[in-house]
Amino acid sequence: MIPMISATALSRRYRDQVALEDISLAVQPETVTGLLGRNGAGKTTLMRIITGQEFPTAGTIRVFGEPPAENDAVLRRTVFVREEQSYPDFRVAEALRVASWFYPNWSEELAQHLLADFGLPPRRRIRKLSRGMRSVVGIVIGLAARAELTLFDEPYAGLDAVARQQFYDQLLTDLAEQPRTVLLSTHLIDEMADLLKHVVILDRGRVVVDAPADDVRGTAVTVNGPATAVEEFVAGRAVWQRRQLGSRASVTIPGPLDLAAQARARTMRLSLEPLSLQQLLVHASGISADEEVSA
Amino acid sequence: MTTLYNVARYHLVDRITYVALPWGIMTLSFLVNLVIAAQVAPDVNSHYTGGLLSIYVFLLICGAISMTRSLPFALMLGVSRRSYYLGTALLVVALGGVYGFALAVLQVIERASDGWGVDMHFFRIPGILDGPWYVTWLTSFVLLVLFFLYGMWYGLVYRRWSLPGLVAFIAAQILVVLAVVVAISMTDSWPAFADFFSSGTASVLTAVLAVISLAMGVGGFATLRKVTI
Repeated sequence: MIPMISATALSRRYRDQVALEDISLAVQPETVTGLLGRNGAGKTTLMRIITGQEFPTAGTIRVFGEPPAENDAVLRRTVFVREEQSYPDFRVAEALRVASWFYPNWSEELAQHLLADFGLPPRRRIRKLSRGMRSVVGIVIGLAARAELTLFDEPYAGLDAVARQQFYDQLLTDLAEQPRTVLLSTHLIDEMADLLKHVVILDRGRVVVDAPADDVRGTAVTVNGPATAVEEFVAGRAVWQRRQLGSRASVTIPGPLDLAAQARARTMRLSLEPLSLQQLLVHASGISADEEVSA
Repeated sequence: MTTLYNVARYHLVDRITYVALPWGIMTLSFLVNLVIAAQVAPDVNSHYTGGLLSIYVFLLICGAISMTRSLPFALMLGVSRRSYYLGTALLVVALGGVYGFALAVLQVIERASDGWGVDMHFFRIPGILDGPWYVTWLTSFVLLVLFFLYGMWYGLVYRRWSLPGLVAFIAAQILVVLAVVVAISMTDSWPAFADFFSSGTASVLTAVLAVISLAMGVGGFATLRKVTI
């Protein structure tokens, strides 16, 4: 199967900073890939290059096996909903009508359902909507377009937790009905973790993790228990992070642990906790969780 | 081709900007001039106005808007820059054709009614828009397209290089005009220059304008290729 998106040694430098440095990755068709990273990690730049809106300084990018820049054959199968997307002075219904012209798979039924579900008034001018409702316009178009390649760049600005959950639910429901490739950048990682099949973590323009989400979840384990027992258990293993509170310790080591190690932990009365995606990102970004907590 | 057509009608969703405002402003200008022409003694002199310029200037604004405010949404919907430019150009040609025809019809009416009964020259401009209706149609079409494309170029320069770019763009144009003026003076060609335009018919002028329009189109297209949003 040819990858939906493949990047090879991709770099993007601006005059005084490096946005992307030697990125190589592949996104498989009909998966939901999470593009994670801190602000300024290069998520938006990468998505802009994938959709031909920005040009790489070095390396190659292929989408549907072709270069995306100015390539109608690629772009017309793509929808890219940006954070704080700007619109002409349209009413909601007008923006939806225009979007429907450009997508052969556009589902008017889904669009109407989403409008009602999110409580978006179709007659209202987009510029008069609240920030959250303006984000909903992008979400509705991104989902109803049913484009083969759908990119969402932090599409939930100003949305409350309930509306965000609605977005995740709708995305999952519609993907089941109409499978397609979704690339989604976010920093609300734990919220979206269940949605993601594949995870790419960027840090300062570099790919630090590129793996199936299930593998990533087992990447590291935190061992909790009495300090002496914990130290005995982790002896000889690489330690990512060590915390001690009184006589109890909590040490993070790379995983996954084999069955024997898990059994040993049980007999030593140690608890094992897989590192969440969020914690993993903090770790991968080169900042210890301690600093993050105390900051 | 479907994409180009969709881009063209995407702009037209905003009918206020592309239809109501150009004609509304020109109508207002027309009415103001009509009242003034009726007040001054009509038997002394014909009343000439520059009011027709309003529709052209407004199309320039439309061109700028089409390349600034409307661009990001089109790119979101997977339209390439090239298709966006060509689709917008398609709209320009359609609008220029229809609006140019309307202006030609209004000119015929103006002529038949002795300047709306008050000897007013609103749709007739000596030396450029005063020939037969079909020449007026053609010249109006070329002028409307020219102004729109020129506006598009302004919008694109702003999109790509913001305000400093816009200033540089205007400065560059002034330099070009200055260079032409100096060149004509140095070669003592002013009489030849004047002859060319006074002896030439409206069609010659139209051809010159068409060449300039084409240059505007090429310039705008070249600017768009590396525009990022």
